[in-house]
Amino acid sequence: MRYPTLLATGLALTAVAPALAADGERIQVTGEVIDTWCYFSGVMGGPDAVTGSAHHTCALWCSAGGIPVGLLGEDGQVYMVLKIAGDEHSNGGDTQLALASHEVKADGMLYRRDGINYLVVAEVVSDEGITHLNHEDFGPVPGFAIPDPNE
Amino acid sequence: MKALAALLSLLAAPALAQDFSEGSEAKAWNLQGEAPARFEARVTDMLCAVTGDCPADCGGGARQLGLERSADGVLVYPMKNGQPVFAGASVDLQPYCNETVEVDGLLITNAENGARNVYMVQRIRRMDETDWTPATRWTEVWAEEHPEAAGAGPWFRSDPRVKAAIEKDGYLGLGPETDAAFIAEWF
Repeated sequence: MRYPTLLATGLALTAVAPALAADGERIQVTGEVIDTWCYFSGVMGGPDAVTGSAHHTCALWCSAGGIPVGLLGEDGQVYMVLKIAGDEHSNGGDTQLALASHEVKADGMLYRRDGINYLVVAEVVSDEGITHLNHEDFGPVPGFAIPDPNE
Repeated sequence: MKALAALLSLLAAPALAQDFSEGSEAKAWNLQGEAPARFEARVTDMLCAVTGDCPADCGGGARQLGLERSADGVLVYPMKNGQPVFAGASVDLQPYCNETVEVDGLLITNAENGARNVYMVQRIRRMDETDWTPATRWTEVWAEEHPEAAGAGPWFRSDPRVKAAIEKDGYLGLGPETDAAFIAEWF
């Protein structure tokens, strides 16, 4: 009878767990504030091309357009940002727009659910501005991000 | 031991990729790891679903919205609507806050960059509706909110906040002088 009981308990946990808010843990993450759609979808190329100064204008467009922003950590993981220093305007808000492509150190709460990392930023500890300089390597991404002055 | 193995496999089930393509009419975008996906889900706000901070209006438009899939409880992140203009999905989902809907679109799964349960929603309908609503509302709402800027080309060239940011820090975000030197060299 032990295994059936265990099985029933497991089934109950499996059914209920995804509907519950996840437990958070306090962390500090250093990384680049990125446009997550272009990063995850590969719509404009690989990860190196859709970050940094090459992609800055598109990062502005996507952030203002309500595409979620994330923090691409030094560990290579993406942390989806849900709130920054009391500003919960994650759908196109001013705070996240001002940080597009910047390297920041964020202190806050990390939550994990269904394979995605979520970050509620309590404080932006440091903001180094744009430090990932890749425009000489890729040009503007997408190519029309900077209007051609000859046209 | 067989029962224990079955239990372990059940607990691991949410981690396995599932096929939600049946009945989908999602348009392909040729994205890395895209798969058509049509499913039933409850519209919630992401901050609520993740932390338990749940205003009745899903944040009133300020927050990112998500989809808690009915079939398995997985929280799917709709990052994109159906428009090819740098627009997210929350504006299209806001009218359905806390409702159960059916959505159709593209799921993105890519182990190389960590994409999982990432979604582009292309159309939405309530469970008692026959007709689908295309997830293309973003530009209409933007034009209503920016009457002074609308009509002169695509929104992303006219948006006041984007224009101000580019005017201040340039297209590269490194300042007008760096911009000028790069543009002279690149074009």
